[in-house]
Amino acid sequence: MAAAGTLLRGLPLVPSVVLLVAFLAGPILYCIYSAFTDMALTGSSSTEFVGFDNFVRAFTSPAFGQSVVYTVIFTVVSAIIGQNVLGMLLALLMRSGAKVVRALVSAIVIGAWVLPEVVAGYLWVAFLGPDGSLNGWLIGLGLPTQNWLFTTPILAVSLANIWRGTAFSMLVYSAALSEVPKEIEEAAVVDGAGPWRKLVSVTLPMLRRTIATNLMLITLQTLSVFGLIWTMTKGGPSDRSMTLPIYAYQQAFQFSDLGYGTALALVLLLIGGVFSVVYLRALRLEENP
Amino acid sequence: MATQVDRPARWRGMVAMAAAGVLAAGLTACGSDSGDGDANTITVSYRQWGDSRIQENYLTGVKTEFEKANPGVTVQLEPVVASEDDYFTKLQLQMRSPRTSPDVVYEDTFLINSDIEAGYLRPLDDQLADWPEWERFTETAKGAGKALDGKTYGIPDGTDTRGLWYNKELFAQAGLPADWQPRTWDEVLTAARAIKAALPGVIPFNIYAGKAVGESASMQGFEMLLYGTGDTLYDDASQKWVVGSKGFTDSLQFIKTVYDEGLGPSAQQVLDPNWNNTVNQQLLPQGKVVISLDGSWISQNWLDTGAAPWPQWSTVLGNAAWPTQQGQAPGRVSMSGGWTWAIPQNSDNPDMAWQLIALLGDKDRQLRWAVDNVQIPVRDDVATDPSYLQANPTNEFFASLVPITTYRPAYAVYPRISNEIQVATETVITGGDVAAAAQAYDEQVRAIAGDAVQPAP
Amino acid sequence: MTATDLPSRPRAAKAPAAPTTARPHRRWVGRSVVNAVLLVIAAGYVVPLLWVLLAAFNGTAGLGVDWPAPWTLDNFRAVLDEDTTYRPMWNGLVLCGSATIITMVCSVLAAYPLSRYRSRFKRPFLLTVLFSTGLPITAIMVPVYGLFVQLNLIDTTSGTILFMATTALPIAIWLAKNFMDAVPIELEEAAWTDGASPMKALRHVVLPLMWPGLAVVALYTFIGLWGNFFVPFILLLSNDQLPASVSIYTFFSQYGQVVYGELAAYSLLYSLPAVLLYLLLSRRLGGAFTFGGAVKG
Repeated sequence: MAAAGTLLRGLPLVPSVVLLVAFLAGPILYCIYSAFTDMALTGSSSTEFVGFDNFVRAFTSPAFGQSVVYTVIFTVVSAIIGQNVLGMLLALLMRSGAKVVRALVSAIVIGAWVLPEVVAGYLWVAFLGPDGSLNGWLIGLGLPTQNWLFTTPILAVSLANIWRGTAFSMLVYSAALSEVPKEIEEAAVVDGAGPWRKLVSVTLPMLRRTIATNLMLITLQTLSVFGLIWTMTKGGPSDRSMTLPIYAYQQAFQFSDLGYGTALALVLLLIGGVFSVVYLRALRLEENP
Repeated sequence: MATQVDRPARWRGMVAMAAAGVLAAGLTACGSDSGDGDANTITVSYRQWGDSRIQENYLTGVKTEFEKANPGVTVQLEPVVASEDDYFTKLQLQMRSPRTSPDVVYEDTFLINSDIEAGYLRPLDDQLADWPEWERFTETAKGAGKALDGKTYGIPDGTDTRGLWYNKELFAQAGLPADWQPRTWDEVLTAARAIKAALPGVIPFNIYAGKAVGESASMQGFEMLLYGTGDTLYDDASQKWVVGSKGFTDSLQFIKTVYDEGLGPSAQQVLDPNWNNTVNQQLLPQGKVVISLDGSWISQNWLDTGAAPWPQWSTVLGNAAWPTQQGQAPGRVSMSGGWTWAIPQNSDNPDMAWQLIALLGDKDRQLRWAVDNVQIPVRDDVATDPSYLQANPTNEFFASLVPITTYRPAYAVYPRISNEIQVATETVITGGDVAAAAQAYDEQVRAIAGDAVQPAP
Repeated sequence: MTATDLPSRPRAAKAPAAPTTARPHRRWVGRSVVNAVLLVIAAGYVVPLLWVLLAAFNGTAGLGVDWPAPWTLDNFRAVLDEDTTYRPMWNGLVLCGSATIITMVCSVLAAYPLSRYRSRFKRPFLLTVLFSTGLPITAIMVPVYGLFVQLNLIDTTSGTILFMATTALPIAIWLAKNFMDAVPIELEEAAWTDGASPMKALRHVVLPLMWPGLAVVALYTFIGLWGNFFVPFILLLSNDQLPASVSIYTFFSQYGQVVYGELAAYSLLYSLPAVLLYLLLSRRLGGAFTFGGAVKG
């Protein structure tokens, strides 16, 4: 009875599991295997098992260490702080904004999200570049100008990624907020809680799960951002915006070292795993048995 | 959080829905076969650039001619619109499987050697032995598709060469001649200094450097210099990469001089990945760059159909060959790339595929391609054909560089070596030391190429 | 945008929540502040967008924010043809639309047991699936290509749809489960007492309550697939099956020259379906993006 019950309960999972097993399980295992080989799509006709060589090579390479640091900076600044906070801010503000304003703002924010990545990259180059509109205004205000992509490349790409990716957090938080029963918030107000207190002790705790899920998803997405950075800086200048995906791309694609590139990607996943564990702990989401 | 629910009887609806989902997944899995197992179909995969119809029209014409000459045979054109890296990934995946392999593929000379080493392509020496047309190809171009094993795997359909573009109007303002031809590197520097003195606010001499512009820095920049010093990147006789050459440090020093003296763009400018386009679409037409060391193709930007139409370009701009370091023979330097036609190992109709490649390699076809696509011809009879010479004002000049041009040693590790060249140039233009940059390069080359490295003579 | 902005916001948010306790004057001030802040953020968003808007109408667009000179529709004329826009757009709608529907059905079904029952396997299972999708797509596509050749799925729209749906599943399941968790179980229990099956409860009780969440999942899935270039590019060999994301490369020529004006014009057209889907969803679902009363729905 119990076993049959468990099986039946699991039935709705079947379509998903079938698709995942049929199309992803094998390729993923193969992919993990390839991280332990010298696999290449071109330049060599044989593939050999090389054990942990790819990982040893990564951890002894200064370029790798540097790219991990930039990846973490990029993720913390653009996803955890930027997209997450701005997304929440927008979602909260929109609850009481005028209808026209809401429609306008959300359409613009979504518009930034749906533009092709390479175009988003170009538009930020046009904005931040030496002759960009930002410098134009700085001149107008009598302030010193600079080539933002040259002086602070990692912040420039982070800013672009906040701009591009906040729509997702905004939508997730908006949807979650609309599911928060108004009565509870109203009760807090009747009890004399100030707005800040209401937010911190009533609204946000109710969104804990959503915040954790959102942080996890945007972290994973941001860790693997490639096209935007590639278009804007190609990881430069002097590798000062070389995040792990850029480094891995260069190795796997340009240098035809798929095995090493895949090993780098596994390390990237590990970093994502560490972030996720932190979120789940910090937001106390372990399900108690 | 979630409450335990245990009501098996109520699951019928959900079970039905789940089953429907699986069924749908199973049904749609019965796709159709699109492999080209048909021996009478020749599949041609090539990279299609931009939205211009030039290549498509050209190849469609060849297809019609070929099908007419070979009744019963169908040529199936499969253009691939993608970035270079993505194009190659797709091509390599297709070639790996006999069921999806094309019969004729378009291979960049930059990567053909890698694909040869991966065993994707067939040697064409047997066919070439019986092909009289091969005699018309210039000696340098014959090397475009030649591998380390001495066999030829690809037939070039054109190439590109590199040289100087300069603004004649601004030259006049700076007191420089309209028919300029520097004999040595120093003469280039002298001209650039004169421009800097006479025309403040312009970039006297654009030479690419740094990682952001990628292969442009290696090929249009550093290698143009190195191959004019008498030294080389790779020794063909011993099949080894050369390190520690004087030519290498001299070339770096030249680049450093240009940037340190403010004769070139600023490091900030050239370290922008879009710098090529900025120079060719904006700064050259606006007269803000006076001399540029660049490829034969950049006038494509300024045609009516180009990205930045500039009808006056052919009267404003002049061309000059890049000189050797001290004017030593042959006096001029050019580097070349370009594309070749090749037959994959997994082609199921290699004989017919060769027939098509042979047709693509004859004079009429190569002439048409060179004229329509502003290509630099690799056949001597095309290069001297009046209709080619008249097609574009710069054709004659850039075609004249073919006999002295050099193809890159584009073997499997070349992309890494090229990357290290870019790193070295980036070091020196951002204030780094030439000797240190050259030493770092040598160390990296040893790490990349292992035993296949030798010190300069 | 910094944390110091936070206090001003809930005060504004409070007004509609508790109208009886707020004086009309304060309410009006609060609303104005909210609208002003929103408009400032929107302005910050629009400024970088100017490039794409101006370049699309500029006959000589480059990488600078320049007023169009000449002002022209030529860029649109150049891209609006069968090969560049119409056919790829239609292919994209078929591919991404179908894949989104499959993903939605599968993820909602999967989310139900994952949200309602406890199992020690489910979190490890979900995490594995989620993290696996972060593997580099190039590395994944090598075996996937081999698999598709074996199964005779290569160059088929149906196979590509299934694979695209699968790649979108993990995140869709995560999101759907999260939104379903927020729906109180008591409402379902009431339905069961009335004799409804879990299936019915899901359809009539749970789903209506999580429309906003579902809209987000659908939008996210569609936009993710719409922007996916590499998967269809590798799995579909014939050009006439390729979706809109592939057309972007039409604007890059042999030596890397970019036709910025046409690229910008195309990007605007390319973004339309996603924006329309958003408008459709936010309209259709009424409360979804107007953030009020969905729970009472």
